[in-house]
Amino acid sequence: MKRPFRFTISLCLTALTLSACAGTRSDAENDPYEPFNRKMFAVEQALDHYIVEPVAKGYAVLPQPVRRSTRNFLNNLASPITLVGDAMQGELNRATTTALRLGINSTIGLAGLFDPAARMGFERHTEDFGQTLAVYGVPSGPYLYVPGLGPMPPRDLAGWTVDWAFDPWIYIADGDIGIAFGSYALDGIDSRATNLGIIDEIERSSVDFYATVRSLYRQNRRSEIVNGVTDINDLPDLDGLDELDDF
Amino acid sequence: MRLAALAFALFALIATPAHTQEADLGEAQAFVTALADDAITILSTAETRAAREEAFGALLKERANVRRIARFTLGQFGRKISKDDFATYEELLGEFIVKVYANRLGEYSDEKVMVGKAQAKKKNVIVASRIEFTNGREPIDIDWWLRLEKDGSLTLFDVRVLGVWMAQEQRDAFASVLKNNKGDINVLLEHLRKQINSDA
Repeated sequence: MKRPFRFTISLCLTALTLSACAGTRSDAENDPYEPFNRKMFAVEQALDHYIVEPVAKGYAVLPQPVRRSTRNFLNNLASPITLVGDAMQGELNRATTTALRLGINSTIGLAGLFDPAARMGFERHTEDFGQTLAVYGVPSGPYLYVPGLGPMPPRDLAGWTVDWAFDPWIYIADGDIGIAFGSYALDGIDSRATNLGIIDEIERSSVDFYATVRSLYRQNRRSEIVNGVTDINDLPDLDGLDELDDF
Repeated sequence: MRLAALAFALFALIATPAHTQEADLGEAQAFVTALADDAITILSTAETRAAREEAFGALLKERANVRRIARFTLGQFGRKISKDDFATYEELLGEFIVKVYANRLGEYSDEKVMVGKAQAKKKNVIVASRIEFTNGREPIDIDWWLRLEKDGSLTLFDVRVLGVWMAQEQRDAFASVLKNNKGDINVLLEHLRKQINSDA
């Protein structure tokens, strides 16, 4: 009985967020709610400072093999989301790789605790419904920052809600909010622990940390959508700059 | 006479090589290999932060065109400031880059950079590479954007890590500071000075 209800919420959220994508500005910044977003970012920073970072520092003390197996386990459970994304984008080779990884790591890899598939040459990649929407031409919509979720413009928020439907944790939890939230929190803590040093360094060395995070998110997202491929034709034109100084 | 003039113009067009000049891909890969090796040597051998920053500063001056990076990172605001302000900005930016990236790259001291494919178009060259970690961490792909100079040499313009171009990141952050301070370059210069003089 709970699943249809969850799907309804998911669909409603998707419809709402996708409608927010329509008519978006195409300028480079596209952050019309910046004052609000900066406040939300400040909330996130406070949560990080007082809760997430201290917990991540404690988690980081765990032996490396334990953390690696935890990450492998979480990655393996997220594979169905990637598999659906691969298939919906018509990326059959990548879908095959994901399916093989899921099969190999769930069996030989002891329920995903190990990643023998990578050693066999099946390297991990990720997809999500937000990326699929982008591939189908849906614009990202204005930049939004959601505490606890991070940067979430409407297209990615819509994608995230759809991804719930393919997230095994939802079915493992079977209505238990504690398990669902716990898995999400574990994923976040593990990521934070892995990047403790670099995140602190970026924050410390940024002239505007909010704008830096916005840029990092957008650039990284664009890269994910094109599967990390660098196209030399997409580079900004520097000839105009050279003319200014006659290099 | 008109025909002769036309023939001369056509000859001049054909004989001008400027727009067809492209970098040698092997040379670009060698440039990146040497640059990555030099950077890792600095990270693994410099005993103090000051020594590391000094060595990175020398490497940046030798292998990158800081003026071009300065023009790019300032974006449209670059056309609105005086020559003196731009000169100050350029100098501070060089120090800022060294300070920021010498520390951000600190954790990559004993890793290996594998240089991969290169692609060129006009004066731009992109060289792909991958950092392999010894501690089991997932490898990181890095792209190097090189630029062919008028004298035929190559210089570094930007580096892309995990899909993020570093100069673009700084350009976005600087633009935000300028936009929120009515385009006052002095505010940005002060931010840069503060970062350069910070102890961390």
